[in-house]
Amino acid sequence: MTALFDRIPNSAFRVISIVIVTAVFLIILFPLYFMLTTAFKTEYEIYTAFSWFPRNPTLDNFVQVITQFNIPLYIKNTLIVALTTTSIVVIVSVMAGYSLTRLRFPGRAILARGVLFVYLVPGALMLIPMYLIIVKLGLQNTYLGLILANMSFAVPFCTWLMMGYLRSISAEIEEASLIDGCTRLMSLWHIVIPLSIPGIATAAIFIFNGVWNEFIFALILSQDASRRMISVGLSNFYRVDIYMVGPMMAGSLFAMLPVVILYILAQRYVVSGLAAGAVKG
Amino acid sequence: MAQESVLPRVAAQLVTTKRSAFRRHEAILGWLLVTPALVIVLGMVGYPFLEAVRISFTDKMIGMGAGRWVGLSNYEYIIGWPAFGSMVMRTVAFTIAAVFIKTIVGLILATAMNQEIPFRNVLRGLFMLPWILPTYIIVLVWRWIFDGQTGVMNQILMGWGLIDTNVPWLARPGMAIALLIFVMVWKGYPFYALTFLAGMQTIPKDLYDAAAIDGAGRLASFRYVTLPGLRQIMGVVILLSTIWTMNSLEIPMLLTNGGPSNATEVFPLLTYHLALQNFRLGEGAAVPILMLPIIAALVITVAHYMDREATQ
Repeated sequence: MTALFDRIPNSAFRVISIVIVTAVFLIILFPLYFMLTTAFKTEYEIYTAFSWFPRNPTLDNFVQVITQFNIPLYIKNTLIVALTTTSIVVIVSVMAGYSLTRLRFPGRAILARGVLFVYLVPGALMLIPMYLIIVKLGLQNTYLGLILANMSFAVPFCTWLMMGYLRSISAEIEEASLIDGCTRLMSLWHIVIPLSIPGIATAAIFIFNGVWNEFIFALILSQDASRRMISVGLSNFYRVDIYMVGPMMAGSLFAMLPVVILYILAQRYVVSGLAAGAVKG
Repeated sequence: MAQESVLPRVAAQLVTTKRSAFRRHEAILGWLLVTPALVIVLGMVGYPFLEAVRISFTDKMIGMGAGRWVGLSNYEYIIGWPAFGSMVMRTVAFTIAAVFIKTIVGLILATAMNQEIPFRNVLRGLFMLPWILPTYIIVLVWRWIFDGQTGVMNQILMGWGLIDTNVPWLARPGMAIALLIFVMVWKGYPFYALTFLAGMQTIPKDLYDAAAIDGAGRLASFRYVTLPGLRQIMGVVILLSTIWTMNSLEIPMLLTNGGPSNATEVFPLLTYHLALQNFRLGEGAAVPILMLPIIAALVITVAHYMDREATQ
């Protein structure tokens, strides 16, 4: 067996690699292809007369999603929550990350270790606690409730990411600025933050994505239509027995748009963040 | 004489007071900068978690007031419940199966991508897609594909004449389990492939040349050069992914919601069903706390690895 494996010439090995890569590629594309094509199909083609490619392409599903199913409202809600969470978390986490990597003070080591632990706390453990606290605060069906819930995973994650990034920046430039009479806060603002822009961008992209794609907190904390997130709105197209596949696929394309655009524009940051173990999944 | 001996002492004292003032200043600034994050974490993670522990000792139900203290009876009820044991076994089995397959797929794909193949960078971007896209969308699409009535898979297989009646994919326990694992792998493998590929590219070429001189074939050099080179990364990736896979709620909830006949009821789903569908918050809160020893052991192990890596 080993000998057989070793006797495969390099060229053949490359062919095998290409075959494997192609197979995985097709399995990845399969659901995405049907999402894309189904969004343009008529009901008849979706449920009765199957086709690989829409025979009578229609924009009905997109029109329905916009005019009948409140998807624009859900997108607006999700944007408000995602952008607010991202801005607050980036500021809070850059401050905390700087403090925990660059300043010496009693309690720092424990706090730094705590960040990692809290980041690793799985969402399933937080399901009931989050529900309890949001109900207690009376923040069900509010933007504030969703923002607070999302911050619970975003702050530890983003702080951990910033700590890693700040450690990779040499402390010497900052020390030089301190000798030249900068205060710590001045050097944070004028030296450290400009140098950390790539790290901050990575963190911001991941938080935005995380909140934009979040489903569980949105489901348990904000069922009311006026404050519904896009994830909950789309999953409602699948009731127990009634599926509205066409609108669901069209709505999914809208929901994926910002994520895919961010990915294309900032792939470098996304990949470096992923390599750092960024998204839970 | 006297003056000469006093001066250095005064100077030294001045320096220490200045240094300690500087230290104190730094400590105050340090705590100030960390406080907002600390308040959020204590308020939105720490306090709620303790509150859930407290609730697990009460009979609190949604919409029924504060609930009475019932001691350990929620825990006794859940542990004594025959379905709980099988649920724990099921969760562990699902996790091991999904993580194992993700590791294998990740290794194979990383090895393949490590060759000189056409369009490598474009392909790498595409292979990351499952990881980037919203989980709920992916799961809903797969659920539609494997729908028992009008799903895409049934329509395709019918069209090819491979089946003559619809297959109820997600309504058969064995098939539902396999498909749940499949979707978990589909969503989760890019993290493995990407980190393994990054790890492979840090292994020096010399090691492979030396192994080749020693007569190592392809398998031997994988076994004795690649795998040892990846050990650290693989350890962290597998542990992290074990935690996330075990606690995954979104995928099972949207794909099978525990069905058919509880075949896919894993522990996060049980928590959700007890607490938020049957409104029994006390019992629901007890389930994750009973799983805590396993989760804590995993978290402490991986934190140890990651901390060491980060501070090295």
